[in-house]
Amino acid sequence: MYARHCEACRAWLMVALPAGFLLVFFVAPNAFLLTSSFLKSESQVLTNEFTLQNYAYLLGRPLYLRAILRSFWIGALVGLIVVILAYPLAFFLARTTSRWKGLLIAGALAPLLASVVVRSYGWWVLLNREGPLSDLVAALLPDSGGLNLLPSSGAIVVGLVHSLLPYGVLTILSALNGVNPTLERAAMSLGASRLRIFAQVTLPLSISGVAGGFLLAFSLSISAYATPAILGGPATATMATQIYEFMTALDDWSLGSAMGAILIFSAMTLLVIGAAIGARRAVV
Amino acid sequence: MRRPWSRLRVLVALIYVFILAPIVITASVSFNAVNQSKFPPLGFSLRWWREALAWRWLQPLGFSVQLSTTAALVATLLGLPLAFALVRGRFPGRAVLEALALGPLVLPALVTGIALLQFLQLAGLGGLYGFPALLLGHVVICLPFTVRTIAISLRGLPALAERAALSLGASRVRTFVAITLPLIKSGLFAGAVFAFIQSFTDYSISLFLARAGEQPISVTILSALEFGFTPTLAAVAVLTLAVPLVLILVVQHFFRIGDFIYGAETRA
Repeated sequence: MYARHCEACRAWLMVALPAGFLLVFFVAPNAFLLTSSFLKSESQVLTNEFTLQNYAYLLGRPLYLRAILRSFWIGALVGLIVVILAYPLAFFLARTTSRWKGLLIAGALAPLLASVVVRSYGWWVLLNREGPLSDLVAALLPDSGGLNLLPSSGAIVVGLVHSLLPYGVLTILSALNGVNPTLERAAMSLGASRLRIFAQVTLPLSISGVAGGFLLAFSLSISAYATPAILGGPATATMATQIYEFMTALDDWSLGSAMGAILIFSAMTLLVIGAAIGARRAVV
Repeated sequence: MRRPWSRLRVLVALIYVFILAPIVITASVSFNAVNQSKFPPLGFSLRWWREALAWRWLQPLGFSVQLSTTAALVATLLGLPLAFALVRGRFPGRAVLEALALGPLVLPALVTGIALLQFLQLAGLGGLYGFPALLLGHVVICLPFTVRTIAISLRGLPALAERAALSLGASRVRTFVAITLPLIKSGLFAGAVFAFIQSFTDYSISLFLARAGEQPISVTILSALEFGFTPTLAAVAVLTLAVPLVLILVVQHFFRIGDFIYGAETRA
């Protein structure tokens, strides 16, 4: 009865169950992970002693430091290629008057229906030593003995660009839909070239989508596990594959937590940067 | 005269090839006559498909369908009041609630997975690994999708419809059931479908929460890939692709859920 008199109480009463669910099974576990990454653990048992040694260890070993740095440069490169490929596609989808428009949009987003595991497998088939690309090179240049593209960081980049392209398309498409085409027509009637219209009208008006697409692809890349696990190898470890190693083979949960915490900090940093520069946040 | 945008069209066609190639290749590899993932396939055979239809693969596939359906239902039920409060409510802490509801999209799912693993272990709930733990994790990652989609349809609701019902003497509950629910029906279904797909294609949160016999198909494929890339796996991969595809086609037939992807920019 009390609730009826208090708007805020009623709202919170209504969401008590879902909010409680998220607090217990989402916020609390992540908070615990962050805390435990700063605690000293002795023979796998956590103590109450504050320490930075987990982080010092990860940043001090070349193996782990390289994995962290590799995740970041792969993420940045993937973000860049995603927006470069997504922009023309999104622009085409925003402007086309084809009666197949719905189907074309569905086609661009269809890969989201397939698990990243499945799509990375497709790239493995294409890029492996006995694969069609290698066969083609071997047929053209018999002396080369084919191509050896796997495992490599380059293959990981290709696989991640492929899996994150739909997110880039959606983010940029939503920005382009906010651009009034009559502005472009006005510029054209005033004699501007296509290139000039793009550079001075369309691109500046949709830049929030470009920034948003880049940051989204970046932050999903650095935490991706399946693609580097399938297309990479021991020499191309990333943060995510290292976490898997820590949690399973090495059975060192404190280091796994610390690496996970670095991922959380990175995701938060990217979010803050995005908010600061006004990047579009498309949620798919 | 040069056709407008002709170069753009060529570029776009190439991007579509890039998008669809790995899926087409995976599908064709499953018809190899040899036990190698060759493309183009060597010969033609259906034996990998027969193997893919064995219990060993159908069991995790069925498990995934069960897990994702339950997760989508729970996420829709939990997401409805959340979306309602976020769209209608003007109360202190609203921004916190929104951050809470969309948080699982921001934090990496892989990390939420290991965080849940440790949390359950610490709470002495290690016995939950398998379906219960997976369900918890999947509901967490599905909630942002149902909340957002339901919120979009609540925002599009004709504002006067509910007030009219209330002024005619209908109770709040009756107004909700007879007016609001039917009007946001497609949002509810779209949210549930997106949640299902999110859950069905996920591997990162499942990686650490599954156990033998209770493992989603994506994790099964991932661990099988460690032992080699066989055409059987390609056939299984195509099978997993068919599930969300059929779901989308069936639901799209009744509700225009596509609007919620393409129309999402009104809120983004």
